[in-house]
Amino acid sequence: MSTVLLQVSNLSKTYKDKNYWFNRKCVSALEPISFDIMPHKTLAIVGETGSGKSTIAKLLVGAELPTTGDIRLNGQTLAPGNFKQRCQHIRMIFQDSGTTLNPSLTIEQLLDEPLQLNTKLDEVERNQLIRETLQKVGLLADHMSFYPHMFSGGQKQRISLARAIILKPQVIILDEALAALDPSLRSQMINLLLDLQQQMGLAFILISHNLGIVRHFSDEMMVMCEGAVLEFGKTNDILKKPKHKYTKKLIMSQRFQLLNR
Amino acid sequence: MNLIDIRNLSIELKTASKPIFAVDRVNLTMKEGEVRGLVGESGSGKSLLAQAIVGVLDEKWRVDADRFHWRGNDLMRLSPAERKAIITKDVAMIFQEPMACLDPTTSIGEQLEEAVDAEQLTGFFWQKRQQRKQAAINLLHKVGIKQHEVCVKSFPHQLTDALCQRVMIAMALARRPMLLIADEPTAAMESTNQGQIFRLLASLNQLKNMSILLISHDLENVTHWTNTITVMYSGQFVEAGTTEQIFNQPYHPYTRALVDSSPRANRMIPNKSRLMTLPGSIPILQHLPIGCRLGPRCPRAQQKCVHAPKIKNFHSHQVSCHFPLKDSYS
Repeated sequence: MSTVLLQVSNLSKTYKDKNYWFNRKCVSALEPISFDIMPHKTLAIVGETGSGKSTIAKLLVGAELPTTGDIRLNGQTLAPGNFKQRCQHIRMIFQDSGTTLNPSLTIEQLLDEPLQLNTKLDEVERNQLIRETLQKVGLLADHMSFYPHMFSGGQKQRISLARAIILKPQVIILDEALAALDPSLRSQMINLLLDLQQQMGLAFILISHNLGIVRHFSDEMMVMCEGAVLEFGKTNDILKKPKHKYTKKLIMSQRFQLLNR
Repeated sequence: MNLIDIRNLSIELKTASKPIFAVDRVNLTMKEGEVRGLVGESGSGKSLLAQAIVGVLDEKWRVDADRFHWRGNDLMRLSPAERKAIITKDVAMIFQEPMACLDPTTSIGEQLEEAVDAEQLTGFFWQKRQQRKQAAINLLHKVGIKQHEVCVKSFPHQLTDALCQRVMIAMALARRPMLLIADEPTAAMESTNQGQIFRLLASLNQLKNMSILLISHDLENVTHWTNTITVMYSGQFVEAGTTEQIFNQPYHPYTRALVDSSPRANRMIPNKSRLMTLPGSIPILQHLPIGCRLGPRCPRAQQKCVHAPKIKNFHSHQVSCHFPLKDSYS
């Protein structure tokens, strides 16, 4: 088996409640967790709101500082605060692509920004790379001079994806990125993501509450509740034989949809 | 008798150059006690259709229909005031994002009391206040909220999404409507909460024989709860029939694609295989294709498809396509 791409060990996050004197009260958003991800694989994180799944995403991209634990990428520790190294390799796509794209920039400027900040390419090379990336996600190179509002919802999500893959990352975090899309566009997007995974050897971390997509898309899954990991294992095993009561409840609540009529 | 009978309803957006048909000749019939799903992706005009039924569209939209009957009354011939009297009495609507729809500055109890109909109250004016309060509490009990003391005093932001949606449903029930229009009632909700809301709606349908028009963008979400389904695409009627007909034997290529594209519906497909999809994206309102609007994306499109197809009826399974997939099942 190939080497471990991302290794997370003992990662946790607690927030201090400032309303108390001497900071006595702590809220634990994420209990210590450890997991590994291989290239070409997808890890799905399932849970309700407040279960800490978005906290994991924030810690991985470095938007929050972890309380304990460390994250290793290809054996190298990712230092907190070292964004240069981190944002080249770990990228994130958000749920609502309409609001995460800057409306006053053209697509070219949007995609140019991460390149200017993170690479030493000159203008011609950057332009060439933007064209290639747009074609990779199924858009035209002519779309470069468009503004975000000229695109439909599905196309905006493709632009977010282009922005994520333009730095040739190794891990992409999809934070509910498929939830807000219409069904026919969602399946297009899933196909596109799977193709990119094949071509580029990407590892995905999929945060979702749609078990149908999780089953189709992921290799391993993690069920979370109130900051703690309840179950972790192969997706098919968990969905077939859930061990924990909470997982059973989650599957039951979508059972009526999973059943073939 | 049909509760609502709509034939060839068009909703036109008046623009400077030429009018745009946001909804183009759509049919919708509902019987009493029926749960009908209205399914369509964004921009399919399903919310517009619901708003046209309730009559809350503003000046820039023009509604036109060959037939628009509510329990035998032709609504198109009534004056706006008469129409409003009928609709407000018999039709209620709930919206997506319940938290945004409730008044954030007023407590739940006050909002509910406001919704209670004055005609239901009897006695002298000093008794009415108490009755109104009791009516609000009864409404909360009806939607399965047991701790009414807490709920009545709280403000919308203090309640969860699912509770807010229950309060919305309680308000909708205040005038005992015959038809409840639920416009994506569970969008952006947890799956466990979605189940609660759908079960509540189903029990209201069973116990009070209330008809429900359930609007959703996701076919697979509503199939468990509906008797019949109408599918729309980009403002045009696509297909209507019972849930089994639509889900197991769709006749329209678009419905076929919708059913096939959901990873839940067909569990047999191998992990990480490609899903079946339609090419392209949903057309925007300014650039609608002529004829059948699915045309440019349809795998079965032929030259004939530049003319809008007539609705064909196969044993109450209506489909609007020149080349229905009827022969592929047999």
